[in-house]
Amino acid sequence: MITGMIPINLRRAVTLLFLGWTLSVTADEAHFPNDRIPTADFETQVRPILIAKCFDCHGPETQESHLRLDRRAAMLRGGDSGEPAIVEGDSAQSHLIQLVSGAETGKRMPPNGMNRLSKGEIQLLRTWIDAGAVWPGPDGAADDETAKSDHWSFQPVRTSRLPGIDDLWVANGIDAFVLQKLSEHSLTHNAQATRPELIRRMSLDMLGLPPTPEEVRAFIANRDPQAVSLLVEKILDSPHYGERWSRYWLDLVRFAETNGYETNRERPNAWPYRDYVIRSLNDDKPYDQFLKEQIAGDAIGTSEATAYLVAGPYDLVKSPDINLTLMQRQNELDDMINTTGTAFMGLTLGCARCHNHKFDPIRQTDYYSMQAIFAGIQHGDRSLPLTEQQHQEVAKIDQQLVHLRDQLKPFVKDAGPHRPPVNARGNEELFEPTAARFIRFTIAQTNASQSCIDELEIFSGTTNVALSSTGAKATCSSALPGYEIHKLENINDGRFGNSHSWISNEPGRGWIQIELSKVVTVDRIVWARDREGQFGDRLATQYVIEVSVEPDQWKPVASSADRLPFTGAALTQPEYDFAKFPNDKAEQGRQLLNQLQEHEQRKSQLQVTATVYAGTFQQPGATHRLFRGEPLAKREQVEPGTVAALGKLAISEASPEQQRRLALAEWMASKENPLTARVIVNRLWQFHLGKGLVATPSDLGKAGVPPTHPELLDWLAMELMEHNWSLKHVHRLILNSATYQQSSQPRDDALQADADTQWWWRFPPRRLEAEPIRDSILAVTGVLDDRMYGPGFSGFEVELENVRHYFPKKSYGPEDWRRMIYMTKVRLEKESVFGVFDCPDAATSVPKRSRSTTPLQALNLFNSPFMLQQAQLFADRLKRDCGDDRGKQIARAFWLCYGREPDAAEFVDSQTFITDQGISAFCRAVLNSNEFLFIE
Amino acid sequence: MQHIDLLAGHHLLNRRGFLNHTGTGLSSIALTMMLAEQGLLKAEDTKLGTVGGTSSIRPVIEPAHPFAPRSSHFPAAAKRVIVIFCSGACSHLDTFDYKPELIARHGQPLPGADKLITFQGEQGNVTQSPWKFQRRGECGKMISDLVPHLGALADDMCFLHSIKGKTNTHGPGENYMSTGFTLDGFPSIGAWTAYALGTENENLPAYVAIPDPRGTPQNSVNNWGPGFLPAAYQGTDFNTSLPIRNLARPESISESADGKTRGFLKRLNERHLGRFPGDTELAARISSYELAAKMQLSIPEVRDLSTESASTIAMYGADDTENILKAGYAKNCILARRLLEQGVRFVQLFNGAYQTGGEGVSNWDGHKVLKDQYSIHGPVLDQPTAALIIDLKQRGLLKDTLVVWCTEFGRMPTFQKGASGRDHNPEGFTCWLAGAGVKAPFSYGATDEFGYKAIENIVTVHDFHATILHLLGLDHERLTFYYNGLERRLTDVEGQVVRDVLA
Repeated sequence: MITGMIPINLRRAVTLLFLGWTLSVTADEAHFPNDRIPTADFETQVRPILIAKCFDCHGPETQESHLRLDRRAAMLRGGDSGEPAIVEGDSAQSHLIQLVSGAETGKRMPPNGMNRLSKGEIQLLRTWIDAGAVWPGPDGAADDETAKSDHWSFQPVRTSRLPGIDDLWVANGIDAFVLQKLSEHSLTHNAQATRPELIRRMSLDMLGLPPTPEEVRAFIANRDPQAVSLLVEKILDSPHYGERWSRYWLDLVRFAETNGYETNRERPNAWPYRDYVIRSLNDDKPYDQFLKEQIAGDAIGTSEATAYLVAGPYDLVKSPDINLTLMQRQNELDDMINTTGTAFMGLTLGCARCHNHKFDPIRQTDYYSMQAIFAGIQHGDRSLPLTEQQHQEVAKIDQQLVHLRDQLKPFVKDAGPHRPPVNARGNEELFEPTAARFIRFTIAQTNASQSCIDELEIFSGTTNVALSSTGAKATCSSALPGYEIHKLENINDGRFGNSHSWISNEPGRGWIQIELSKVVTVDRIVWARDREGQFGDRLATQYVIEVSVEPDQWKPVASSADRLPFTGAALTQPEYDFAKFPNDKAEQGRQLLNQLQEHEQRKSQLQVTATVYAGTFQQPGATHRLFRGEPLAKREQVEPGTVAALGKLAISEASPEQQRRLALAEWMASKENPLTARVIVNRLWQFHLGKGLVATPSDLGKAGVPPTHPELLDWLAMELMEHNWSLKHVHRLILNSATYQQSSQPRDDALQADADTQWWWRFPPRRLEAEPIRDSILAVTGVLDDRMYGPGFSGFEVELENVRHYFPKKSYGPEDWRRMIYMTKVRLEKESVFGVFDCPDAATSVPKRSRSTTPLQALNLFNSPFMLQQAQLFADRLKRDCGDDRGKQIARAFWLCYGREPDAAEFVDSQTFITDQGISAFCRAVLNSNEFLFIE
Repeated sequence: MQHIDLLAGHHLLNRRGFLNHTGTGLSSIALTMMLAEQGLLKAEDTKLGTVGGTSSIRPVIEPAHPFAPRSSHFPAAAKRVIVIFCSGACSHLDTFDYKPELIARHGQPLPGADKLITFQGEQGNVTQSPWKFQRRGECGKMISDLVPHLGALADDMCFLHSIKGKTNTHGPGENYMSTGFTLDGFPSIGAWTAYALGTENENLPAYVAIPDPRGTPQNSVNNWGPGFLPAAYQGTDFNTSLPIRNLARPESISESADGKTRGFLKRLNERHLGRFPGDTELAARISSYELAAKMQLSIPEVRDLSTESASTIAMYGADDTENILKAGYAKNCILARRLLEQGVRFVQLFNGAYQTGGEGVSNWDGHKVLKDQYSIHGPVLDQPTAALIIDLKQRGLLKDTLVVWCTEFGRMPTFQKGASGRDHNPEGFTCWLAGAGVKAPFSYGATDEFGYKAIENIVTVHDFHATILHLLGLDHERLTFYYNGLERRLTDVEGQVVRDVLA
């Protein structure tokens, strides 16, 4: 037994040492038992204690706190607390021991004092655990206790068979499922809405703007039997679609352009993400790709998309107090984990931060595995990589720079015995001209992680002879698997930067070798980690470069030995000394230096790319499970991964940061993931029809509400996946369905049976959200500026103190009349007129806005300077459009706002009112009216 | 019947004739619907009005009257609440928590604190308060000379000396005290109260936040935000110098024109409603304009202090011409009383604003020169706040009004290294209660001999919140709102009513 003991603890100690922990921590953490350990037999000594003292509450029949002690795997998993009941070989860390020995105040087990374990019994349990908790028999099986859940949403998406309903009403699969449920509930559907109703509904729903009177009239007049589906296509093609629907996504991902908390400072580079979302929707980017880009866009060519990760709040107030700092960091990561769980998967991962999930099979360990995926992400701006054209220009300048530096070499001041330290952006190795066929670059140490070189240039004079295009061949010790952008071939492809680089698959080590097409005399090698300057990790800090003519007759030509030690400081320019040369020669040198500086300046200008608040990435250290989520209560280390009950990712503690995110993204975006497709089609349904088939759109777990139409939900999910994850395909299905196209008229009989419209016997009317209200107003008054994209406009007057203050604007002009999606989104503070229409504060993910009706909304819409100005502008427009013909003005206003002719009573009332109070008072009322503000 | 958007009227009560409904006839349907709201999964296991159940109690909210008064979970001691919030972290050691050891060990290091790093860094020595403490009231409670007027009311007060926070930074600290969470985006205690209980006077907002005349508190609107509760329940912020935005009729429009436009709008809306008979969301929007019109009259009236007697004005110090800050805050105190008097359910009154002009200049954040800074803030707070309590008492309101005095955290018993002020300290600090249902005079809990850490009868902010809700007749474990997978509570998953402080 003693011999069995040692390897376990040694293994632990070795692991800790490997992680670079200090020795004192290692000694504390690795629990070495007293020198003599008695043995404890499970069957005869341990199990009887468990049966007598524990099984009443934690046995086969009852599992309080979801803890059962009758199976070894369940013990290792633990109960609600997230603490494993036993840690093999480590009784001191075993929660079971802490509880039975009363080490945790107020939680001594068993609770009944009469039943407490004796010292001897506790010692037996300790002995058994320290010896590795050997448990013979089937109950001792070490198989994973990640109970396979039978909950509906964790099962694969099924191919739903369409109900065999023969009914002319059915336009597509949606209607068949809806009609089936309607009949089951003895309900009938409404008739189709009228043409004006349909175009207005679709336009507001899809584009967030009312249709123009001309569009309405043309649609009414269109005799084509396909008129409605043609309208659907036209609407799906409108760029306003992305402007309307991006809002839903931005709510969901808690996007804002300030940090929140007390300082609430601006994030001036956050808006490109908003444009990214609008473009992605308009381009109908496949949803799986859209999802992947937001988690790991830097790995797949859409760098700005990772702004999603850091779209949430960030506490700018920092302190030397470590407790505060650690808690702030935990909160940042929790925001990412929780948002990713709820927004993409409808999974409330955040519930497992402090304990195992109460309802779903999410262990606390799973939460921290997820944290290990996000742990390398920091809030902040990041410059985007260069475009192809910029690349080429930079490469050209680089060639010129090489030439100039060559010419300047004689003027370089003697810098002493040591060369400058290595630098991530570029290093030059000069040596005596040497004949070579093979050149090998061997890395013995990096500043972090597996080594990376973006390009190895080997010069013979001014010609780079290493390029694969010249026939040179590259080999290496290893290459990071799974990354196109880091494969071996990138080392000599003539392209610079991280996205065309080689990364070894050995932490801190690796070699790369170039075999030239023939023996060549070489005298200079240029290499860098990332010539674009985005990344500074993985830099070779100890290396040697050897050459040979025949294989394996290596001769070193350069190494890090004569360099100053790497400190991470910025690259220093060599100093020049012209004075020691004759005047004309010195003048020539100065001119060369001028040229060099000009070229360098142009290069750095070229290298300025867009900067986006998209986060920065670094290789994280070890992630530990935290007892009760407390930052200082570290428990065992966890590997990066996802919810074990749902899947497994092919990553480990050794995986580079980016690979971790990419693995998670690919798993979430896979067709095998049972949640992803269901979650997004349910959201689409909800935004179209006011309510999801699952009423808890961000919780498809056990605590959520089951779907009203499970088959329909799966059918839509399958449609999405089978049509290359096209969101527009699902929009098209919904918009073309008879269900969606029903009239919104209430019917007494149906209301009686289904006031909530959960069986969809009509299109349920609803008030518009803040953004389409504001946008619609601007559209009908004729001042809407429909410029898309770019930096936004402010809804506030901002006082630029250390702590920012946001005051309502006092006056408005054309710069304020773009669509509200382009209004800079300030966290917490709500825009002074429309914010009270339930705009989210962007502190957390909002899957569905509340829909309040309050007197403050009425006051803002009726009295605010913004609205009075709009009423006046509307009056001006009516006069412009109709001259002084009052009848025409009234009709025009009704057509613009409601898409219909006024009826006789409305006409007469309007006419009388305008005669009495004037046209702008009329406009003020119409812009406040219910019909204008509702989708019906 | 399984969805969560609150007040989405037509989902709830689509019935012909709803407009004629007076508020009782349909209540059973309303109840059923509201329980179905929020995706309630667990059935009620006990009836409304009883205590001891474990499942949520949903307020019965009529879409057209979201602020209608609603009954509490059990009979309440307090009908309304005023929370006086000292922004910036008011030092307990210079006001209400008397520690002779600070005098005895003045100038010596705080034992065990040589390596202690607090918010701004290292500690200097233990420092006595620049203000002397004296026995006050019949109870003889030791209270400092910084707040003599408040001290005189010691017999009405119930001190909790062992409050423990969760953070030592202002924004999250204010969030924690106002919303129960250090993060942004959770509903404030006032929003929870308005959601649960509505208000007694629908012509005024159910929940009013009164910012300091110098500006909003440090975490600004999140102190009175609705979080994920319907926007209807957020605090409406105004004070005597800052009116409600867009409340007043625009100057360019005459009263008669305004009224006629309102009439025309109503006719447009009613004709439209005719096509959607009984749609409550449409009906609610019609009522909201009527309520707005009433507020246009009632709010200027409540903000108008000209009807206050000269003696009242003087009692609050609102006529102090030498201390403008004090006079400004005093006017807000009078406004607070007027709001409570008229049935506003929850009033949040701020003393201290965001940081401007340096630390501790505009609020209680006394890092640098505590004596100079608090010499300004003490007099601003003291007399007006004391007058507010006296006034409430005189008018018979204190017996069913709960007065809460709080701040985001306390301060250190030491001065900061290299400064003459105290750093942040969430480990133990003082808040007090007065009025409805509160045991007074009484002191509960204690910090250690230096006033550094709470050691006796520790009260978390969750406990403090649970106690306030209890006094309002609300069970903090059953006042919940479903949001993103959780039945959210003001008290998260913690909180115990501090029964010892109940009368």
